[in-house]
Amino acid sequence: MMSDFSSRLAMYGPALFEGALTTLWLCTIGMLLGFVLGVVLHLLANGRSRAGVAFTRVYVSFFRGTPMLAQLLLLFYLPSAVGLDVPPMVAAAAALALNTAAYQSQILSSGFSAIPKGQMEAASVFALGRFNTLVHIQLPQVLRLTLPALISELIDVIKVSAVVSVISITDLMRVSQQLVSQTYRPLEVYLVAGVFYLALTSLLSLLGTVLERRWQERN
Amino acid sequence: MHELLSYLPEFANALLVTLGISLAAAWVGLVLGFGLNALRLALPGFGVIYRLYVWLIRGTPFLAQLAVVYFGLPIIGLRLEAVEASILSLALYSGAYFAELFRSAWASVPNGQLEAARVHGISRTLVFWHVQAPQAMAFALPLLGNQVILTIKESAVTSIITVPELTMTAGRIVSTTFSYVLPYALLVLSYWLLTSTVAAVARTLGQRMTRHLRG
Amino acid sequence: MSTLPLLELRGVGKSYGTHRVLSDFDLRVQAGEIVSLIGPSGSGKTTALRCMNFLERYDEGEVWIGGQLLGYSGIGRRESDRDSEAKVDEVRNPVSMVFQQFNLWPHMTVRENVMAPLVLGKRIAKPQARTLADQALARVGLSAKADAYPARLSGGQQQRVGIARALAVKPRLMLLDEPTSALDPELVEEVLQVIRSLADDGMTMVMVTHEMSFAAQISSQVVFMEAGRIVESGAPQPLFNTPETERLRQFLKPWFNRSLTPRTQVTP
Repeated sequence: MMSDFSSRLAMYGPALFEGALTTLWLCTIGMLLGFVLGVVLHLLANGRSRAGVAFTRVYVSFFRGTPMLAQLLLLFYLPSAVGLDVPPMVAAAAALALNTAAYQSQILSSGFSAIPKGQMEAASVFALGRFNTLVHIQLPQVLRLTLPALISELIDVIKVSAVVSVISITDLMRVSQQLVSQTYRPLEVYLVAGVFYLALTSLLSLLGTVLERRWQERN
Repeated sequence: MHELLSYLPEFANALLVTLGISLAAAWVGLVLGFGLNALRLALPGFGVIYRLYVWLIRGTPFLAQLAVVYFGLPIIGLRLEAVEASILSLALYSGAYFAELFRSAWASVPNGQLEAARVHGISRTLVFWHVQAPQAMAFALPLLGNQVILTIKESAVTSIITVPELTMTAGRIVSTTFSYVLPYALLVLSYWLLTSTVAAVARTLGQRMTRHLRG
Repeated sequence: MSTLPLLELRGVGKSYGTHRVLSDFDLRVQAGEIVSLIGPSGSGKTTALRCMNFLERYDEGEVWIGGQLLGYSGIGRRESDRDSEAKVDEVRNPVSMVFQQFNLWPHMTVRENVMAPLVLGKRIAKPQARTLADQALARVGLSAKADAYPARLSGGQQQRVGIARALAVKPRLMLLDEPTSALDPELVEEVLQVIRSLADDGMTMVMVTHEMSFAAQISSQVVFMEAGRIVESGAPQPLFNTPETERLRQFLKPWFNRSLTPRTQVTP
């Protein structure tokens, strides 16, 4: 029976692996886009425009207060209402990015506020300019400070990404569903898929712990 | 638009289903989480089981867990209806998160208090209930509301196995009326309203219950 | 012959809400001068200094740098008159600053810290910036530490990096905000030596300091402040040896027993 299992595993292992790669790829893009958007949201929330502050508050409340699946469906079908045809991958990446940006903006904000104000004064006195200050003084330090939390967020994004399977993206979850309809072995397939997810999240978690320990030592 | 209005009763019903399964699962999950944490503290060997459970649940997507329960369990003879499977899965899922919540709540009580009690011969059970629990629960209370919100959000995934909750109902309306934006917009607004209400309720309850502690 | 002062403050004032921290502050600084601002904590001397490069937005009076009004487009001083950041940067370009807490950027090496204002602020090409930075570091005696990170340096060394950074941009005026107050006593002297050598080279400086004997030695002008106002000001020799006001006499008491020997004035 074990050799049966391992031969079956060899059969659908590769398909699951490809699904896992799609998941990783999608989540990485979503995470990166979400990072940029998260920085923008932070700047808006701490800027001088009252509309910007209000917008950010509503944005964060909305994306943190509604399910990923509902956001995905809305974003996938919204363009078709105005006649645009958006490929599922684009919709999924956009939905993930918009969602994670809400969480990342909070993470990044705490990083930004941890930088002593004196450094910003020095940047101001030496005329670095807002953009240079953001890119050369703030972001390198913010990244260093928030990397463990960002890795946690990436883990969440990977877990939440499983719902993109409903708009027919062949991520790990969808590949599992396809395999189940081919092999009629749902317990096996879904358990193995679970193992794949577990491996992904556990490796990332380990990375986060290692980094966090390195930061503690340095300080 | 008229057509959509005729679906409102069904939508309202779906909202109740969402609330129902979420609150039921959250309640079971809370008790489960509380129990898991208590066992972890009481039995030295249980820690391994605890950590394994938390690792499995928090390391995998809820959808995968739901799929195992609904599609996979029948293979070993346990066949559940969609709603039953949903509540069970959601309860197991939130249970792990509640357990971690209670774990950090218990850890927030200074160890010195535990030691002082033990030194005076107070049994571990009494310490758990009379020294740790009151303080830990004060710590945990504000966070419980958040976990309920997370459960409500995750319940949307059960639409995939056709539980007649909000997301599935919205999808049904879309496929029969061919209007996309309004149903899904209403969908997200409903969730937003739900979670915001729970957040507000949790905040007020939390403030009321811990008023005596803030002196 | 009257020359345009490098820095001029006329009736400068600042409030935080209803609390007035600075009033009627007048100062004229010519090239080559060293001005020391002294006084008890809360006297407004740091606020006055920070108004000089618009780190604090003064709400009364005027600050002129090389004949240009700083921070506002007209003498009215309303929010709508406020200059853009670019204009403020342009006017305060000849002024650089050394901070009490050093304010180095911890994720950059010493050399990168000194280069940053040149590359990112003045848009100088990297190779030239590197040369200028190395020169500045040599000037403060820290060439050997160019590739180190600030966390590895002592407080005195970090402040010297701060001075190098302020020097590399070739300023016409340097503001120093209590440059040695955050240092352990044994590290103070190395920083004072560097400041002294800069003064000998003719750098124009305005300095807030608690180092009385140092101020007495290098200043061309000393300003004593209390409660946000100038109480007494003048050349160091008469001011320290024969203070006119009782308040200054009280303030200088701890130093009265030691001799404060002011240097003979170097005519600019």
